[in-house]
Amino acid sequence: MIPQNFEYSAPNNLKEALALLAGGNAKVLAGGMSLIPLMKLRLAAPDHLVDLSRVPDLKSIREDAGTIHIGAMATHWEIEASPLLRSKCPLLAEAASNIGDVQVRNMGTIGGSIAHADPAADYPASLLALEAQVRIASAKRERTLSIADFLVEALSTALEPDEIVREIIVPVEASGTGVSYQKMVQPASGFAIVGAAARVRKSGGKVGFVHVGITGLAGKAFRATGVEKLLATTAGSAADVQKAAAVASDGVDANTDLHASAAYRRQMAKVYTARALTQALARTS
Amino acid sequence: MKISGSYTLPFARARVYQLLQDPQVLAQCMPGTDHLAKIGPDEYEMKMKMVISAVQGLFAGKIRVADQKPPEQFRLLVEGSGKVGFLKGEGVLTLVQLDASPSDTSTEVRYEGDVQVGGVIAGVGQRLLDTTAKLVIRKFFEKLTELAGQTSLPAAG
Repeated sequence: MIPQNFEYSAPNNLKEALALLAGGNAKVLAGGMSLIPLMKLRLAAPDHLVDLSRVPDLKSIREDAGTIHIGAMATHWEIEASPLLRSKCPLLAEAASNIGDVQVRNMGTIGGSIAHADPAADYPASLLALEAQVRIASAKRERTLSIADFLVEALSTALEPDEIVREIIVPVEASGTGVSYQKMVQPASGFAIVGAAARVRKSGGKVGFVHVGITGLAGKAFRATGVEKLLATTAGSAADVQKAAAVASDGVDANTDLHASAAYRRQMAKVYTARALTQALARTS
Repeated sequence: MKISGSYTLPFARARVYQLLQDPQVLAQCMPGTDHLAKIGPDEYEMKMKMVISAVQGLFAGKIRVADQKPPEQFRLLVEGSGKVGFLKGEGVLTLVQLDASPSDTSTEVRYEGDVQVGGVIAGVGQRLLDTTAKLVIRKFFEKLTELAGQTSLPAAG
């Protein structure tokens, strides 16, 4: 189908882009992997699109004092292939490599993905496990939010209509950290039925640090703190992993759709959490 | 699509029941409602503008309340349609008074129903229908709790 008429702007710098958004009526176009299909189906009909593809500096991936700054317009493929991320924050590169298909990864961007806030998107599990920060800009101000505060609920974020995501900040992984993202994929859409991201570090033969993020199970991705508590200070044996992963779905109001019932999703969340933890532990050292 | 769940409000059952029967309260609680008018006994027509992320849809529809058993139960029938699709559903709301102590009273609203959704929104949005429904219901009750706490509304008689 053909979208409804809309005005299109492609500003050449960030200042101009923010000025166009200041009115609050324009919608940001990043990679367009969710917005354009919605417009073609006429489920979305924005009056004005501000295309960020010509704004310089929104694509860079750079290291700065123990953190890595990823421009909002970096594509999934750029994140997947970045030598910096692959060596210093491999969890995010692994998550990016699991997104959709190759066409989506070539066009879709990390900023667009988190701003859309699909409850089954891949990034949030990893970004929560990484305790990522989101830098947001508008014509008036700039602010930084934790990813947990940024993701408000399904399809809803803390972004105001005049704001854009400028960059995502993730930590440089400490040596000896093992990471893994395990996803049960829904083949037609490429979205996760459930996805689990794990970061684990051992000290003195015991699990000293463990962060787990789960996507697809609930209205929004979350940190599985119950799993983390049970695994911390254990030896990280196969039995310890199973015992900890068994609480992954506890207290969660699970999603139901025609691909997976709530009960099935809850079970799969446990299975994929166990797989992510097992692989992450195997990658420590 | 089956919808069921519960929500607890920190108010007495009679008051919660009365609020749920008040069209002005309902209009304020339902996200995006910009018009609600009585068209018959226990029957209302309404217009809603739902905005979820980039998706927005205008819906026009009717709500009917039936089988009232104050202050514990009633049936709600809803139908609506717009460019992006239609929905039709009905459900039963049961109010259960939970008394922790005579001074600390609260009411659990249990809802159970079946909603049919069709059109473009169901075809492409299937994956998100359940999540969205839960979101709308939660917002409804949050707003209801907020309104019920305001003293400007008439107290339960």
